[in-house]
Amino acid sequence: MKKNILKKDHVRPFLRKLARDSRLIAPVRTSHRDLLYQEIESIDSAEIDLSEQPQESAKQFLFPQQEQLFTYQNTSKGFTFSPRKSGMPTVLFGLRSCDISAILYMDVIFLRSPRDHYYLEKRRDTIIIGIGCNEPWDNCFCNATRTGPFLEIGFDLQLTDLGDRFYVESGRAVGDEILEKWPQFFSPVTEEDEKLRYQLMLEARSGFKRHVHVETAFQKIADNSVSPSVWEHIAKRCDGCGGCAYICPTCTCFTIFDRPLSPHTGERLRTWDACTHDGFTRMAGGHNPVNPATDRLKRRFMHKLYYDYKQFKRPGCVGCGRCVGICFGGVDIAMFVDMVCAEKRDQRQSAAVIGDLLVEAGLITRKQLSEALEKRDRTGMPLGSVLMEMGIVTKEDIANCLADKVERL
Amino acid sequence: MMETGTMRENMRNAVTDNVFMPIETVISEIIEENSTIRTYTLRFTDRAAAFSFLPGQFVMLSVPGHGEAPISISSSPTDTDEIQLSVRRAGRLTSALHSMKAGEFVAVRGPYGVPFPVDELKGRDLLFVAGGIGLAPLRSLINYCRAKNREYGKITLCYGSRSPSDIAFKNDLDAWKADGSVDVRLTVDVPEDGWYGKTGLVTTLLDDLSINNSNTSALLCGPPVMIDAVISKLKESGMDTEKIITTLERNMKCGVGLCGHCHMEGVLICKDGPVFNVKALENIMGATG
Amino acid sequence: MAGLATTFGSGAMTNSINEITGAEVIFVIGSNTTEAHPQIARRILEAVDNGAKLIVADPRRTELSRSAHIHLQLRPGSDIALLNAMMRVILSEGLIDDAFIEMRTENFKELRKHLLSQDIDKLAAVSGIPVSQIKKAARLYAGAQKGVICYCLGITQHICGTANVESIANLAMLTGHVEQAYTGVNPLRGQNNVQGACDMGAIPGVFPGYQPVSDPVIREKFERAWGQALPSEPGLTITDMTHRGRKNGIRAMFIMGENPVMSDPDASKVEETLKGLEFLAVSDIFLTETASLAHVVFPAASFAEKCGSVTNSERRVQLMHQAIPPIGECRSDSEIITELAGRLGYTMAYENSAEIMEEIALLTPIYGGIFHDRLETSWGLQWPCPSRDHAGTPYLHKYSFARGKGRFVPAENITPDELPDDDYPFILMTGRVYHHYHTGAMTRASDILSREVPEAVLEINSDDAREKGLRHGDMVSLRSRRGEIEVRVKPVDTISRGMLYVSFHFHESPVNRLTNPALDPVAKCPEYKVCAVNLEKA
Ligand SMILES: Cc1cc2nc3c(=O)[nH]c(=O)nc-3n(C[C@H](O)[C@H](O)[C@H](O)COP(=O)(O)OP(=O)(O)OC[C@H]3O[C@@H](n4cnc5c(N)ncnc54)[C@H](O)[C@@H]3O)c2cc1C
Ligand code: SF4
Ligand code: SF4
Ligand code: FES
Repeated sequence: MKKNILKKDHVRPFLRKLARDSRLIAPVRTSHRDLLYQEIESIDSAEIDLSEQPQESAKQFLFPQQEQLFTYQNTSKGFTFSPRKSGMPTVLFGLRSCDISAILYMDVIFLRSPRDHYYLEKRRDTIIIGIGCNEPWDNCFCNATRTGPFLEIGFDLQLTDLGDRFYVESGRAVGDEILEKWPQFFSPVTEEDEKLRYQLMLEARSGFKRHVHVETAFQKIADNSVSPSVWEHIAKRCDGCGGCAYICPTCTCFTIFDRPLSPHTGERLRTWDACTHDGFTRMAGGHNPVNPATDRLKRRFMHKLYYDYKQFKRPGCVGCGRCVGICFGGVDIAMFVDMVCAEKRDQRQSAAVIGDLLVEAGLITRKQLSEALEKRDRTGMPLGSVLMEMGIVTKEDIANCLADKVERL
Repeated sequence: MMETGTMRENMRNAVTDNVFMPIETVISEIIEENSTIRTYTLRFTDRAAAFSFLPGQFVMLSVPGHGEAPISISSSPTDTDEIQLSVRRAGRLTSALHSMKAGEFVAVRGPYGVPFPVDELKGRDLLFVAGGIGLAPLRSLINYCRAKNREYGKITLCYGSRSPSDIAFKNDLDAWKADGSVDVRLTVDVPEDGWYGKTGLVTTLLDDLSINNSNTSALLCGPPVMIDAVISKLKESGMDTEKIITTLERNMKCGVGLCGHCHMEGVLICKDGPVFNVKALENIMGATG
Repeated sequence: MAGLATTFGSGAMTNSINEITGAEVIFVIGSNTTEAHPQIARRILEAVDNGAKLIVADPRRTELSRSAHIHLQLRPGSDIALLNAMMRVILSEGLIDDAFIEMRTENFKELRKHLLSQDIDKLAAVSGIPVSQIKKAARLYAGAQKGVICYCLGITQHICGTANVESIANLAMLTGHVEQAYTGVNPLRGQNNVQGACDMGAIPGVFPGYQPVSDPVIREKFERAWGQALPSEPGLTITDMTHRGRKNGIRAMFIMGENPVMSDPDASKVEETLKGLEFLAVSDIFLTETASLAHVVFPAASFAEKCGSVTNSERRVQLMHQAIPPIGECRSDSEIITELAGRLGYTMAYENSAEIMEEIALLTPIYGGIFHDRLETSWGLQWPCPSRDHAGTPYLHKYSFARGKGRFVPAENITPDELPDDDYPFILMTGRVYHHYHTGAMTRASDILSREVPEAVLEINSDDAREKGLRHGDMVSLRSRRGEIEVRVKPVDTISRGMLYVSFHFHESPVNRLTNPALDPVAKCPEYKVCAVNLEKA
């Protein structure tokens, strides 16, 4: 597959060509300073910004939040159903690796048999131009899900930011075609470019601020050793708003409903749905087999971290970190994995007792505990000493705590 | 002429590869089974659109404006090229359907789901256990086996209803009794005046039977509590769980494995079910405790 | 509102929302925070994660109470008894903040006298909570360095709403939990702009910024700006208009963005009043139950179709931008008002909402420094913000209360206006559910939200349900002295026996036909939260 250099100055002219007969989607800095993938109306006025991870994924362009399936007309002679044509040539430009991986995931869901007509119509005509992440953001953990920060496959073109220029590699025949069609924008790759790119990739890989042990969590779930209190803890905090599913690039569940437009006509629509909604599985008469919230949360996290893992050998989470901070209750997949893994270490060395007691007594938080446990694992120091060194508790606290426990016994 | 012809052709293509497009049918007959269940005979207005199916499969039934719901086909593929759906009034869509008359239109798409293993069942005695509307999918299989009576063994049906006036599918029960093709046994939870039959859960009917475990398959459909009770009873009596076959019910929106509503422990009921044997189910549930 | 005004001199949240995360003890009373204020609940949970202790006082076992260290499951309408009992404990155990009381408050002697006259066992019995639990809660709250109280409609929507709030304020002042960051008393507002509406004078007796109409100097200021003589008498309260409209000589009404036919107590009375008007105009984004009664309906633009500011619970004025052009013929509220004023012969010419904001700044000292250009680049400004160079005020009453000294206002427990008796043996509480908002005019238009909660459900204690022979899903008819509705029941174990809980979003089960219009004498807020009812299978 081909490799080239594209000067940053030439990006706009290049996009102008691409946009001529396609709808162009790219990360845009809006007037309120949000960064969102948006359809570009005018290349000259849109502020295309490749410097950060956009706040939302590109899911909506292939699988819109609400989509008409067909319209119906009801006469005395029967129905007319008119399906909607929804495809149009599209270029998704500047997609992050996680967002591309999420599209590959959606491909699996929507294009196995039977195929989802509306997804296919859009997907068939979509060109994906991604950009690797030189510097992961605060909540990213695509290294743990093996979906970034750079990709080997899945893109038509992938850019790497080399400063004043992009390194452009093609991943598919379509990518090659683009490079061949507009050779004027591209120049050959030098050895220095290659070296720099390699260097950046290495740095990116070591640049993660969060360490989310997705595989450990999978093992824990597979061993059936996630304690019920973990599920309880997160269920208590879930309001069932569905926000985590809506923001998630790999959440593809939807519901279908009819919306009458007049007494004899109407449309059938599909809308994003969320497995944390109570109505998602409720049946006629009110019985819900996936109830209470503990079961729903279990289903959500098990689906991503266990069933998908078993079926596809990789999790149904692409580590984009977007569900972190979206939840009113502070429930997110990274926090869940942390909780599950913190448990694991506790069991391994049974120092859990002190940690848990301190948490119970309200002297330290779960978060601090998992930090401390991590540090303990790294340094080999006893948990108590780590906590004291971190300045979170005093010797007295620990002593009191243990004394309390003895008293209670 | 030519033009409309190609247009129809194009439409058909669009329809056939788009799983969400329903096919129009007309209600040709309505049978009142009891106060809440009616059986609808549907004729495809475009005969070419008629599909073939096997007992145990379901369709997504549309009343445009009121949405869609999964409904088992209760007629046997051996009957005609019409299909029958037996529907209990449960909510919005089913109520809308119940207010419709013969000659009006509804739409279906399907058939979906894994059918009963009609080949595996060949040569075996069949024990059907149903409660209420649960007889609908079993009715399809019973009539199928009756039509191919040489291929199947003895057919027994244990059917539980809430009260004598709630007993549904009376025409069928009478016909089965009349020609002796099915050993029909009934019970009700709450007896009424003039009821001389059994009272109690459907499991009590099982006590009266002598089942040859080695050559009998059981097929169950009804409320979850009933199914659980029957399964444990049959297991107790030594029946192999692989030979106990049941159907599961979940909220379904697409019917084809796309929407995620019917997900259960990594399985999609609409696609991997709704028919399961109990052994397979125990494996699925056992995977995660 | 009124309760905090008498004690602190200002009725708003004293803290910023984010400060909650830094509290040591959080005392939530009369607020189903997780369902009604998820953004606040999230801060509370974060605080708990950070080690804070949580006390929840609620008759129901709410979602938040599951995370609480102490859940005080009090009898509805016994808040004052509980608060007095806590204060009594704090007083007798010497946990009061002497320095604070000395320097910053007045009338402590009265409170002390009052508390000493109270018998803690009696108070505990009234509230239905064991003394030991009350003591635990009192010590926890008083012992904290940083204590926050959050309350909501469960406190205010009572006949003794004002006294309830005053008691909360007493408790906070007694322990010195007011004047600092992470410490204070916080009424949670139900909507994104209730605070703003109050700030702008949508209360009978005040101009914008709580400037009384009775003050001639202030009146003159507004008369000069608006070129009109202005009344010196307070206007009518909502229930004065909707329940006693004709008696008060009202012949025509213009209702903006309210659905009183659904939301006001004794709702059949409201409907009667509105139907009896000579003329009714309603502006709303949907054709609500109220709008369908109107002679003229103005289609109003939704929040996404206009530009302007809203002021939230924490007094934060935020600018909202127009996201989409108005759909169809709808217009923004300000356009509707100015056009209407024009036709009525009074010209209100504003170029845009920024100019309106300039006028607010000109006439309203607490908004004196708030302009659109300043809001544009920030997450908003918290009033008081008297001048352009003022950064806004994250927490109130630093160094001194708005009214000078904080005033203790002792209160006696006031039993609800209507108590259960043989004819109406159950106490009915009303509230909201997470997925719907107010009368459902907006949220029920969303397919997903209405699927989530398609209808009203009446929560009843499982034992009561069993006794009444009721099963999940049964329809019951629910009666009070004022009306009758049908609703589906759901047996639960999250409320005590003798109590019922139902949400008010559904016109099919219009709960406010049952509720009691008895008013709090000061705040004029109706006693929505409790009334006596009976039920039987429909
Ligand atoms: C495989 C399968 C076969 C079925 N066969 C029959 C049958 O032969 N006869 C019969 O009377 N009923 C059958 N049901 C149940 C039937 O689908 C529900 O009673 C029906 O969906 C209720 O729809 P409603 O709009 O009237 O009720 P509402 O309560 O108004 O339903 C709202 C929505 O929820 C969904 N939903 C609610 N309950 C169910 C449910 N139990 N299963 C799936 N989706 C549900 C529906 O999609 C519906 O659009 C079957 C269900 C399944 C899963
Ligand atoms: S975002 Fe949080 S509250 Fe909302 S559904 Fe997800 S876990 Fe539940
Ligand atoms: S679960 Fe969270 S981190 Fe994983 S892909 Fe979804 S939004 Fe991103
Ligand atoms: S019903 Fe949609 S996946 Fe099964």
